Amino acid sequence: MTVGVEMCTKNINIPDSRDTVEMFIFDSAGKELFADVVQKYWDDPSLVMVVFDVTNEMSFKACDKWLGRVMSKNPHISCPGVLVGNKTDLEGRRVISEQTARQFAEANSLEYFECSASKMKNVEQPFYFLANAYHKLYKEKLEVMKSLA
Amino acid sequence: MKMPESGSLASEGAKVVLATSCDENHPPENIIDGRSETFWVSTGLFPQEFIISFPSPKTISTLHLDCYNVKRFLIERSTDTDPVDFKPLQDEKDLPVTDNQLMKEEVRVSNVQANHLRVSILSGHDHFVSIHRLHING
Repeated sequence: MTVGVEMCTKNINIPDSRDTVEMFIFDSAGKELFADVVQKYWDDPSLVMVVFDVTNEMSFKACDKWLGRVMSKNPHISCPGVLVGNKTDLEGRRVISEQTARQFAEANSLEYFECSASKMKNVEQPFYFLANAYHKLYKEKLEVMKSLA
Repeated sequence: MKMPESGSLASEGAKVVLATSCDENHPPENIIDGRSETFWVSTGLFPQEFIISFPSPKTISTLHLDCYNVKRFLIERSTDTDPVDFKPLQDEKDLPVTDNQLMKEEVRVSNVQANHLRVSILSGHDHFVSIHRLHING
Protein backbone atom coordinates (compact mmCIF):
# COMPACT_ATOMS: atom_id res chain seq x y z
CA MET A 1 0.00 0.00 0.00
CA THR A 2 1.20 3.49 -0.84
CA VAL A 3 1.16 5.88 2.11
CA GLY A 4 1.01 9.44 0.81
CA VAL A 5 3.24 9.96 -2.23
CA GLU A 6 6.18 7.97 -3.49
CA MET A 7 8.34 9.83 -6.00
CA CYS A 8 10.31 8.05 -8.69
CA THR A 9 11.71 8.74 -12.14
CA LYS A 10 11.51 6.76 -15.36
CA ASN A 11 13.32 7.44 -18.64
CA ILE A 12 11.64 6.51 -21.89
CA ASN A 13 13.44 6.73 -25.22
CA ILE A 14 11.29 8.05 -28.03
CA PRO A 15 11.49 5.88 -31.17
CA ASP A 16 12.90 7.48 -34.35
CA SER A 17 14.44 10.33 -32.39
CA ARG A 18 17.40 11.02 -30.13
CA ASP A 19 15.02 12.25 -27.44
CA THR A 20 14.26 10.79 -24.03
CA VAL A 21 11.28 11.72 -21.91
CA GLU A 22 12.25 11.71 -18.24
CA MET A 23 9.16 11.19 -16.12
CA PHE A 24 8.92 12.48 -12.57
CA ILE A 25 6.25 10.21 -11.19
CA PHE A 26 4.28 11.02 -8.07
CA ASP A 27 2.79 7.66 -7.18
CA SER A 28 -0.11 8.82 -5.03
CA ALA A 29 -2.09 6.78 -2.52
CA GLY A 30 -5.69 6.08 -3.54
CA LYS A 31 -6.98 5.89 0.03
CA GLU A 32 -9.25 8.85 0.78
CA LEU A 33 -7.37 9.30 4.06
CA PHE A 34 -4.37 10.63 2.11
CA ALA A 35 -6.31 12.73 -0.42
CA ASP A 36 -5.28 16.13 0.99
CA VAL A 37 -1.67 15.14 1.44
CA VAL A 38 -1.13 13.69 -2.04
CA GLN A 39 -2.68 16.65 -3.86
CA LYS A 40 -0.03 18.97 -2.43
CA TYR A 41 2.43 17.30 -4.82
CA TRP A 42 0.35 17.86 -7.92
CA ASP A 43 1.13 21.43 -9.03
CA ASP A 44 1.21 21.85 -12.81
CA PRO A 45 0.62 18.22 -13.79
CA SER A 46 1.98 17.26 -17.23
CA LEU A 47 0.44 13.81 -17.62
CA VAL A 48 -2.05 11.71 -15.70
CA MET A 49 -2.34 7.97 -15.11
CA VAL A 50 -5.37 6.72 -13.19
CA VAL A 51 -5.07 3.09 -12.08
CA PHE A 52 -7.94 0.97 -10.77
CA ASP A 53 -8.44 -2.63 -9.67
CA VAL A 54 -10.62 -4.61 -12.16
CA THR A 55 -11.78 -6.85 -9.29
CA ASN A 56 -13.05 -3.94 -7.20
CA GLU A 57 -16.06 -1.84 -8.21
CA MET A 58 -15.33 0.86 -5.61
CA SER A 59 -11.87 1.29 -7.06
CA PHE A 60 -13.30 1.84 -10.57
CA LYS A 61 -16.01 4.21 -9.31
CA ALA A 62 -13.37 6.37 -7.61
CA CYS A 63 -11.54 7.04 -10.91
CA ASP A 64 -13.88 9.87 -11.86
CA LYS A 65 -13.19 11.69 -8.59
CA TRP A 66 -9.41 11.27 -8.80
CA LEU A 67 -9.28 12.32 -12.44
CA GLY A 68 -11.29 15.43 -11.59
CA ARG A 69 -8.88 16.27 -8.80
CA VAL A 70 -5.88 16.13 -11.14
CA MET A 71 -7.55 18.09 -13.93
CA SER A 72 -8.74 20.83 -11.55
CA LYS A 73 -5.10 21.62 -10.71
CA ASN A 74 -4.66 23.40 -14.01
CA PRO A 75 -7.95 23.52 -15.92
CA HIS A 76 -6.55 25.69 -18.72
CA ILE A 77 -3.85 23.22 -19.75
CA SER A 78 -4.88 19.83 -21.08
CA CYS A 79 -2.89 16.80 -19.95
CA PRO A 80 -2.59 13.61 -21.98
CA GLY A 81 -3.93 10.81 -19.78
CA VAL A 82 -4.42 7.07 -19.47
CA LEU A 83 -6.77 4.83 -17.53
CA VAL A 84 -5.23 1.54 -16.43
CA GLY A 85 -7.18 -1.51 -15.25
CA ASN A 86 -4.86 -3.53 -13.02
CA LYS A 87 -5.00 -7.14 -11.64
CA THR A 88 -6.14 -8.75 -14.91
CA ASP A 89 -4.52 -12.00 -13.67
CA LEU A 90 -7.39 -12.49 -11.19
CA GLU A 91 -9.72 -13.62 -13.96
CA GLY A 92 -12.42 -15.26 -11.79
CA ARG A 93 -12.72 -12.23 -9.56
CA ARG A 94 -13.08 -9.61 -12.27
CA VAL A 95 -16.12 -7.29 -11.87
CA ILE A 96 -15.29 -4.41 -14.26
CA SER A 97 -15.42 -5.45 -17.91
CA GLU A 98 -13.01 -4.10 -20.45
CA GLN A 99 -15.93 -2.50 -22.28
CA THR A 100 -17.15 -0.61 -19.19
CA ALA A 101 -13.69 0.71 -18.48
CA ARG A 102 -13.08 1.62 -22.12
CA GLN A 103 -16.33 3.61 -22.25
CA PHE A 104 -15.33 5.63 -19.20
CA ALA A 105 -11.86 6.22 -20.68
CA GLU A 106 -13.25 7.41 -24.01
CA ALA A 107 -15.76 9.74 -22.33
CA ASN A 108 -12.84 11.36 -20.51
CA SER A 109 -10.40 11.47 -23.44
CA LEU A 110 -8.12 8.88 -21.85
CA GLU A 111 -6.35 6.01 -23.57
CA TYR A 112 -7.26 2.67 -21.98
CA PHE A 113 -4.81 -0.07 -20.96
CA GLU A 114 -5.05 -3.26 -18.92
CA CYS A 115 -2.21 -4.82 -16.98
CA SER A 116 -1.20 -7.24 -14.30
CA ALA A 117 1.39 -5.65 -12.07
CA SER A 118 1.93 -8.87 -10.12
CA LYS A 119 2.65 -10.84 -13.35
CA MET A 120 4.51 -7.82 -14.86
CA LYS A 121 2.25 -8.05 -17.89
CA ASN A 122 1.59 -4.97 -20.06
CA VAL A 123 2.85 -2.64 -17.35
CA GLU A 124 5.18 -0.64 -19.61
CA GLN A 125 2.65 0.21 -22.34
CA PRO A 126 0.77 3.04 -20.60
CA PHE A 127 4.09 4.69 -19.72
CA TYR A 128 5.25 4.47 -23.35
CA PHE A 129 1.98 5.94 -24.50
CA LEU A 130 2.22 8.90 -22.11
CA ALA A 131 5.86 9.63 -22.89
CA ASN A 132 5.16 9.59 -26.62
CA ALA A 133 2.08 11.78 -26.21
CA TYR A 134 4.12 14.32 -24.24
CA HIS A 135 6.92 14.26 -26.80
CA LYS A 136 4.41 14.81 -29.60
CA LEU A 137 2.96 17.78 -27.73
CA TYR A 138 6.47 19.20 -27.33
CA LYS A 139 7.18 18.88 -31.05
CA GLU A 140 3.88 20.57 -31.89
CA LYS A 141 4.60 23.49 -29.55
CA LEU A 142 8.08 23.87 -31.04
CA GLU A 143 6.53 24.43 -34.45
CA VAL A 144 4.36 27.22 -33.01
CA MET A 145 7.39 28.80 -31.31
CA LYS A 146 9.37 28.68 -34.56
CA SER A 147 6.62 30.60 -36.34
CA LEU A 148 6.40 33.42 -33.81
CA ALA A 149 9.14 35.93 -34.62
CA MET B 1 25.56 28.72 -34.69
CA LYS B 2 25.25 32.16 -36.26
CA MET B 3 27.17 35.14 -34.88
CA PRO B 4 25.14 37.14 -32.38
CA GLU B 5 23.58 40.39 -33.58
CA SER B 6 25.70 43.45 -32.88
CA GLY B 7 24.48 45.21 -29.74
CA SER B 8 23.11 41.95 -28.30
CA LEU B 9 24.10 40.79 -24.83
CA ALA B 10 26.15 37.96 -26.34
CA SER B 11 28.11 40.39 -28.53
CA GLU B 12 29.00 42.29 -25.35
CA GLY B 13 30.44 39.13 -23.82
CA ALA B 14 27.47 38.06 -21.65
CA LYS B 15 27.01 34.32 -21.12
CA VAL B 16 24.17 32.08 -20.01
CA VAL B 17 25.85 30.22 -17.15
CA LEU B 18 22.87 28.10 -16.09
CA ALA B 19 19.63 26.93 -17.66
CA THR B 20 17.27 24.28 -16.30
CA SER B 21 16.36 22.90 -19.74
CA CYS B 22 18.51 22.18 -22.75
CA ASP B 23 17.21 21.05 -26.11
CA GLU B 24 20.38 21.08 -28.23
CA ASN B 25 18.40 22.52 -31.14
CA HIS B 26 17.22 25.46 -29.01
CA PRO B 27 20.08 26.19 -26.59
CA PRO B 28 20.00 28.92 -23.90
CA GLU B 29 22.50 31.05 -25.89
CA ASN B 30 19.56 31.87 -28.17
CA ILE B 31 18.18 34.12 -25.41
CA ILE B 32 21.04 36.63 -25.69
CA ASP B 33 21.90 36.47 -29.41
CA GLY B 34 19.70 39.50 -30.13
CA ARG B 35 17.35 37.58 -32.44
CA SER B 36 13.66 36.93 -31.86
CA GLU B 37 13.60 34.04 -34.36
CA THR B 38 15.91 31.90 -32.23
CA PHE B 39 14.76 30.82 -28.79
CA TRP B 40 15.38 28.72 -25.71
CA VAL B 41 12.61 26.28 -24.85
CA SER B 42 11.70 24.67 -21.54
CA THR B 43 11.30 20.91 -21.96
CA GLY B 44 8.71 20.34 -19.25
CA LEU B 45 7.83 21.01 -15.60
CA PHE B 46 8.01 24.22 -13.58
CA PRO B 47 9.78 26.16 -12.23
CA GLN B 48 12.46 26.82 -14.85
CA GLU B 49 15.27 29.35 -14.67
CA PHE B 50 18.34 30.72 -16.38
CA ILE B 51 21.22 32.90 -15.20
CA ILE B 52 23.09 35.39 -17.38
CA SER B 53 26.52 36.65 -16.30
CA PHE B 54 27.98 39.91 -17.60
CA PRO B 55 31.72 40.42 -18.22
CA SER B 56 31.61 43.68 -16.22
CA PRO B 57 28.93 45.34 -14.04
CA LYS B 58 25.96 46.21 -16.25
CA THR B 59 23.64 49.15 -15.72
CA ILE B 60 19.99 48.31 -16.26
CA SER B 61 17.17 50.79 -16.78
CA THR B 62 14.86 48.85 -19.08
CA LEU B 63 14.71 45.14 -19.66
CA HIS B 64 12.93 43.69 -22.70
CA LEU B 65 11.84 40.07 -22.58
CA ASP B 66 10.31 38.42 -25.67
CA CYS B 67 8.70 35.16 -24.65
CA TYR B 68 5.82 32.76 -25.27
CA ASN B 69 3.40 31.11 -22.81
CA VAL B 70 5.23 32.39 -19.73
CA LYS B 71 2.70 33.01 -16.95
CA ARG B 72 4.35 33.93 -13.65
CA PHE B 73 7.96 35.08 -13.62
CA LEU B 74 10.56 36.76 -11.45
CA ILE B 75 13.74 38.63 -12.39
CA GLU B 76 16.55 38.96 -9.87
CA ARG B 77 20.05 40.45 -9.95
CA SER B 78 23.28 39.76 -8.18
CA THR B 79 26.11 42.26 -7.65
CA ASP B 80 28.44 39.58 -6.31
CA THR B 81 31.40 38.28 -8.34
CA ASP B 82 29.79 34.83 -8.27
CA PRO B 83 26.15 34.24 -9.25
CA VAL B 84 24.90 34.13 -5.64
CA ASP B 85 22.87 36.32 -3.29
CA PHE B 86 20.17 37.32 -5.81
CA LYS B 87 17.76 40.17 -5.02
CA PRO B 88 14.47 40.75 -6.90
CA LEU B 89 14.43 43.48 -9.57
CA GLN B 90 10.64 43.65 -9.34
CA ASP B 91 7.81 41.67 -7.74
CA GLU B 92 6.68 38.40 -9.26
CA LYS B 93 4.54 39.20 -12.28
CA ASP B 94 1.79 37.49 -14.27
CA LEU B 95 1.68 37.73 -18.06
CA PRO B 96 -1.51 37.21 -20.10
CA VAL B 97 -2.04 34.49 -22.72
CA THR B 98 -1.01 35.52 -26.22
CA ASP B 99 -2.30 33.09 -28.82
CA ASN B 100 0.29 32.44 -31.52
CA GLN B 101 2.00 35.72 -30.77
CA LEU B 102 5.20 36.68 -28.99
CA MET B 103 4.74 38.34 -25.63
CA LYS B 104 6.95 41.42 -25.52
CA GLU B 105 7.37 42.37 -21.89
CA GLU B 106 9.13 45.49 -20.73
CA VAL B 107 10.47 45.83 -17.19
CA ARG B 108 11.56 49.29 -16.05
CA VAL B 109 13.90 49.70 -13.13
CA SER B 110 15.78 52.70 -11.79
CA ASN B 111 19.33 52.31 -13.16
CA VAL B 112 20.50 49.37 -11.10
CA GLN B 113 23.79 47.54 -11.51
CA ALA B 114 24.13 43.80 -11.96
CA ASN B 115 26.87 41.26 -12.50
CA HIS B 116 24.37 38.45 -12.94
CA LEU B 117 20.70 38.23 -13.80
CA ARG B 118 18.41 35.35 -12.91
CA VAL B 119 15.07 34.87 -14.64
CA SER B 120 12.74 32.35 -12.97
CA ILE B 121 9.67 31.10 -14.78
CA LEU B 122 7.38 29.95 -12.02
CA SER B 123 4.45 28.82 -14.16
CA GLY B 124 3.28 28.77 -17.76
CA HIS B 125 0.15 28.99 -19.88
CA ASP B 126 1.21 25.66 -21.37
CA HIS B 127 3.50 22.72 -20.56
CA PHE B 128 6.34 24.39 -22.46
CA VAL B 129 7.49 28.00 -22.66
CA SER B 130 10.03 29.74 -24.85
CA ILE B 131 12.29 32.75 -24.31
CA HIS B 132 13.19 34.39 -27.61
CA ARG B 133 15.18 37.44 -26.62
CA LEU B 134 16.38 39.32 -23.59
CA HIS B 135 17.64 42.82 -24.23
CA ILE B 136 18.84 45.41 -21.73
CA ASN B 137 18.95 49.18 -22.06
CA GLY B 138 21.39 50.84 -19.69
